[in-house]
Amino acid sequence: MAKKFMSMRNLHFLLYEVFDTASLAKYPFFSDHGKETFDMVLETGMKMGRDILYPALAEMDRNQPVFEKGTVRVHPVVETVVKECGGGGWIGAHASYELGGQQIPNTIMTAFRGIFAAANYSASVYPFLTSGAAHLIASFGSKELIDTYIPRMFSGQWQGTMALTEPQAGSSLTDLTTTATPTDKGYYLMKGQKIFISCADYDCVENVVNLMLARIEGAPAGIRGISLFVVPKMRPDEKGKLVANDLNCVSIYHKLGYRGAPITQLALGENGDCRGWLVGQPHKGIRHMFQMMNEARIEVGMGAAAIASAAYYASLEYTMERPQGRKITSKNPEEPQIPIIEHADVKRMLLFQRAVVEGSLSLIFQCAIYADLVNVTDGEEKETNELLLEILTPIAKSYPSEMGILSVSQGLQCLGGYGYCDEFPLEQYYRDVRIHPIHEGTTGMQGMDLLGRKVVMKNGKAFMLFLGEAEKTIAGAGSIDELKSCAEALTTALERLKEVTGALTGLAVKGDIEVFLADATLYLEMFGITAIAWQWLIQGITAHHALAKLPAAQDALFYKGKLATCRYFFEYELPKTQGLATRLMRSGDGLTVKMEKEWFGD
Amino acid sequence: MNIVACVKQVPDTEALIKVKPDGSGIDEGGIKWVMNPYDEYGVEEALRLKEAKGGEVTIVSVGPARAMETIRTALAMGAEKGVHVSDPLLDNTDAYTTAAALAAVIKGLNPDIIFCGQRAIDDDSGQVGSILAAILGIPQVTIVTKLEMADGKIKAIKPIEGAQLVIESTLPCVITTQKGLNEPRYASLPGIMKAKKKPVDVKNAAALGIATEPKAKVAKMTPPPDRAPGKIIAGDDPAAKAAELVRLLREEAKVI
Ligand SMILES: Cc1cc2nc3c(=O)[nH]c(=O)nc-3n(C[C@H](O)[C@H](O)[C@H](O)COP(=O)(O)OP(=O)(O)OC[C@H]3O[C@@H](n4cnc5c(N)ncnc54)[C@H](O)[C@@H]3O)c2cc1C
Repeated sequence: MAKKFMSMRNLHFLLYEVFDTASLAKYPFFSDHGKETFDMVLETGMKMGRDILYPALAEMDRNQPVFEKGTVRVHPVVETVVKECGGGGWIGAHASYELGGQQIPNTIMTAFRGIFAAANYSASVYPFLTSGAAHLIASFGSKELIDTYIPRMFSGQWQGTMALTEPQAGSSLTDLTTTATPTDKGYYLMKGQKIFISCADYDCVENVVNLMLARIEGAPAGIRGISLFVVPKMRPDEKGKLVANDLNCVSIYHKLGYRGAPITQLALGENGDCRGWLVGQPHKGIRHMFQMMNEARIEVGMGAAAIASAAYYASLEYTMERPQGRKITSKNPEEPQIPIIEHADVKRMLLFQRAVVEGSLSLIFQCAIYADLVNVTDGEEKETNELLLEILTPIAKSYPSEMGILSVSQGLQCLGGYGYCDEFPLEQYYRDVRIHPIHEGTTGMQGMDLLGRKVVMKNGKAFMLFLGEAEKTIAGAGSIDELKSCAEALTTALERLKEVTGALTGLAVKGDIEVFLADATLYLEMFGITAIAWQWLIQGITAHHALAKLPAAQDALFYKGKLATCRYFFEYELPKTQGLATRLMRSGDGLTVKMEKEWFGD
Repeated sequence: MNIVACVKQVPDTEALIKVKPDGSGIDEGGIKWVMNPYDEYGVEEALRLKEAKGGEVTIVSVGPARAMETIRTALAMGAEKGVHVSDPLLDNTDAYTTAAALAAVIKGLNPDIIFCGQRAIDDDSGQVGSILAAILGIPQVTIVTKLEMADGKIKAIKPIEGAQLVIESTLPCVITTQKGLNEPRYASLPGIMKAKKKPVDVKNAAALGIATEPKAKVAKMTPPPDRAPGKIIAGDDPAAKAAELVRLLREEAKVI
């Protein structure tokens, strides 16, 4: 079985050569850090990924969690992963020193989590779900909540979750009905039902802390009546002893992939004794939760890119070794067969995977940097970083998720029949990666978020900032001969995107909102390809300059591979935006809107 | 307790090793460097001993500038300080000279116990720990898979063919460590942060007053010959094919 699941060389390229993360140290918050620390962080992540997570990849798939005796039995490696991450300080790594963290940049921890996700996605979610939940308490919770929960979450003793979804409220959180009844004792009594909640109950953790959305009794209808609560499985009593909180797992779902992490159905307050504590302000729950959701969306993008990375390396290894067929020009059947990597079509499948994986990783790190800068800058600079992060978040979630599926599919294809069989990990990766367009907001919701909100917010300011960033990159490529055609193609693509955006927002101005958003997913796709092309041009420029400095032989091969993949993206992927634009320019016809549901029948 | 753990930086076990065309050594381009896995057991055992008995752990390494990363890794695991013997004259030197350099450093540290990996996975010579003990004039127990310490003595278990030896030794002594001794810990994030601030002395051969001329030299390094291609026995008759297989195993492969 392939041993490589993520390239450290590529991580170094992106983190140090493309994005100068070491320079984050110039901000006081990060001033204790530098490349030396980051290298050790990444090395440790890789070692843990290789030694602990990766060996359990197939086992966790084949031995799914089992619901028994009121709890969920999970693979024993989960306990090790959570313990090592808690003990090693990885769960709270990004948090401030006061909270017990080490102020590691989000960008570096994004890479760390990516290494884990590539090694074994299911195992990776446990510790980092806790990170996100704890971050939410740290940002909006009272001192008491912080003191009670954060240390135990950072240590890995208590698992964190995000509990939003209900049977009638998935994409439409407006419709959630779990209620919180105020008491005069500082807590609320919770009642309701949650479904699909990841890791909300399992056997090898002391407690679970759900960051839950619910409606305070009598709150206004709609999104403005939703509040955020901490609802633990076990609540600490006055003496700190843990007592059951009338919050029970009643079943788990059986999934296509990503089988090592359970998703649970939870019943709250069946005996009228489920207590929840308000986090932040009443009725501001969605806004608070969005902090975690935005982080989680980029993490989902990373999850998809990471699985696709593991699939790429598994397929690469196979194509190097599998002899099949001869050069098309060879007529002699006596000649030995050649490894399939020598066939142009197999190279195309490998290039496609690389283009998707490394393009996605680049955009994810770009977003992670913006997120770090938002935390350490002020005023206009902060707003710029914020807006860029906001407009790119739906893309950093959806492009890797949707394209990751196709990428893994091409990886599987490289193995032919063996790709379809479970002796090789490709079939598992193919199932595992399928979750990503669904959770943390479906692709459809991301499309509407991008077109309906992000592009038009502040009179299109975020959109203009994005165009400005891409144009800066184009200017940087201008004098480089081998990248000239790529730079020109990106210029054209940006023009096309502007034109399409103008046409679509024109529909909105006319008040035809349904038609305006009907093709939002296509718009997301088009924007996504364009944004990834921008990232590939950035990588191409970096690789070009590095190659000009005549690096060591091994590095030269790496940079040549980068430049070839950059050209591949511009030749094979970017042109797809033309087709999308053709349709999007005609979205005003409202074709899907006009389709009657009765016509679907037969 | 004054504990010393010696570490060597070696190519990652998964690195693709290429021999230089002139056979003088390996091509170091693109290689990922890590702590010798057997040394990790030594560092872990040193840390456990310190945690049980108190004291401090000093990491000593002979190697080029990049070996500092490996020292920092050991400091991030929890060791207190390091000594880095870094001198171009000692690059790729022999086991004796390495041991002499280690001994020169360690003498001054006055240790109760010294850990070395039982061998390094790069040159597989397995001599440094023993030579070090000889130079220091102290006992050694090699290839140890279990270690206990009580009343100023150690009791070590060493597996041998078909049995195991229980060896007692006085202190100070050199222990060379084998897989199975423990599960080395991962560097923790707070450990990584602290490691940067921990002291590492850098010394060259002159400062240690040791001779740098190696006693043994690698004359030539050659990659193993390519494996000969396999042979497929053709034919339709299983009995005839089996007979041919037996003949080949007997006459060509000479394994039966
Ligand atoms: C493995 C897994 C883990 C999960 N983990 C968690 C978790 O930890 N916490 C949690 O709270 N939830 C979790 N979820 C739930 C997940 O977030 C939801 O499944 C997701 O948000 C979609 O909701 P739904 O399943 O109700 O689908 P629906 O909302 O019913 O969507 C079905 C389809 O309809 C489309 N659609 C819905 N509404 C609209 C609309 N207004 N306009 C256009 N199209 C629309 C969607 O895009 C989708 O294609 C998890 C789900 C899975 C499968």
